[in-house]
Amino acid sequence: MDLQANDTEPMIMHIDLNSCYAIIEQQANRLIRNKPVGVAAYDSPGGFIIASSYEAKRLGIKLMRVREAREIAKDIIVLTPDPEKYFDAHRRFKEVLLRYTNEVTPKSVDEFVVDFRGSPAVQYGHSLSDIGRQIKRDIRQSLGEYVSVNIGIGPNRFLAKVAAGMDKPDGMDVITARDIHSIYGQLDLMDLPGINHRYKARLNFAQIFTPLDFLSAPMPKLKKEVFKSIVGYYWYLRLRGYEVDAARFATRSFGNDYAVGDKTSDPEQISKLLMKLCEKTGRRLRRHDYQAQGVFLGMGFENRTWWGKSKRTGSLLYSTQDIYLAVMRLFRQIDITARVTHINIAVFDVIPASPVQIGLFDGTRLDTRSLAIASDKLNDRYGEFTVVPATMANMQDVIIKRVPFGSVRDI
Amino acid sequence: MREKINEEVSVVMYYSAKHKKTVPHLLNWQSKDYSLGPVDYYHSYMEGRDMQHIFELCDREGSLWFRLRLDSSNLHWTLEAIHDGLAS
Repeated sequence: MDLQANDTEPMIMHIDLNSCYAIIEQQANRLIRNKPVGVAAYDSPGGFIIASSYEAKRLGIKLMRVREAREIAKDIIVLTPDPEKYFDAHRRFKEVLLRYTNEVTPKSVDEFVVDFRGSPAVQYGHSLSDIGRQIKRDIRQSLGEYVSVNIGIGPNRFLAKVAAGMDKPDGMDVITARDIHSIYGQLDLMDLPGINHRYKARLNFAQIFTPLDFLSAPMPKLKKEVFKSIVGYYWYLRLRGYEVDAARFATRSFGNDYAVGDKTSDPEQISKLLMKLCEKTGRRLRRHDYQAQGVFLGMGFENRTWWGKSKRTGSLLYSTQDIYLAVMRLFRQIDITARVTHINIAVFDVIPASPVQIGLFDGTRLDTRSLAIASDKLNDRYGEFTVVPATMANMQDVIIKRVPFGSVRDI
Repeated sequence: MREKINEEVSVVMYYSAKHKKTVPHLLNWQSKDYSLGPVDYYHSYMEGRDMQHIFELCDREGSLWFRLRLDSSNLHWTLEAIHDGLAS
């Protein structure tokens, strides 16, 4: 028998900041309000726009190169990211939401999910729509008059996110069990959060072309035929408003991704960049008091090829030096045939760093550990990259702080 | 267009006990006084153990935007950037 949609009162709120980075820049600078603005990793023609204002979006400028954006709008204002400002906005955004309930989950710098079940605000008899309107006012007061948010309310996180995307910018929509059919009837598969090109192709292959087809597909078909795993069952529940996305996952890896500004094929230059990425990764790993058991290195090249390899290490990785040596072992396996455009390193299978496990064959590992702790203390006191390995000399402006996509654990 | 400046500047600021706010009021840069409008965004961050205060605001005429940094370790002001509101 087909499962009915979850008809409990919608108590999950999804809130996202409209065009987050661009709108914060417009809030900070009133001379660029109501104008097309793009925030790009680099403001050079090859730089990539990661956020655009609503004025730019209306012209069709979304994720694209600065060069392409300028072909559409000559007068687009391109700014480079200001991560500290966006982190500050994230913290203020969170502070506002915590006034209503403790059940606030950040999904990214500009997205939160709030579970209002049992919250005092609801117990006092306020409707979630009233609370949503008050949150909009509070956010304007805290972040500035130009900042607006989209709010979606639903019985689960998925439907709350669908609702938040329905009426941009500055919208607020509620989805209940009664509305599901009419809402899905207005959407395409790719409008559903979590459905990408790959999933769409998979669904199409199973003769599912619309969200309504998706909703009416029997659970065994989704589980056995379409997704061939438990994922199909989760989609079956998710589409009907049942919660399957509330799990909190433990930290498993730390990494850094870097789009190389001055593309190079010089191994010495690349090894310097790798050292800086290792230092950034190591700092984050140690700040969270973890050590790792494996390392990954990936590189993208100008000729659009990609190389990537991971390796579990015999010993635990803690200091920057440990990570760098492991990364360099992988780096020596690469045949560099074109200039490097992209570098990605990560350490994975992390475990708590304390208590310290002393290995029988660790050699001087304890010395590198003490050195890492001492240099971290100096960098905490005097600022990032005050004490650095010699390989990183004269690299202050290379690999600057970037805004994270998704993860907010370092904010 | 936005232009990096990074020059130390003279600033008159005041503190309002009523609003519990510290606000830059007048900026002198390259021998010219700029009367400053309301702060549009303020944030701070730590550089090591020293807090840096960032004020982003326009002059009263609304013709130039400034990004000012107050270094809490020595109370020096730096004009980090300006913007005339136009594309480059």
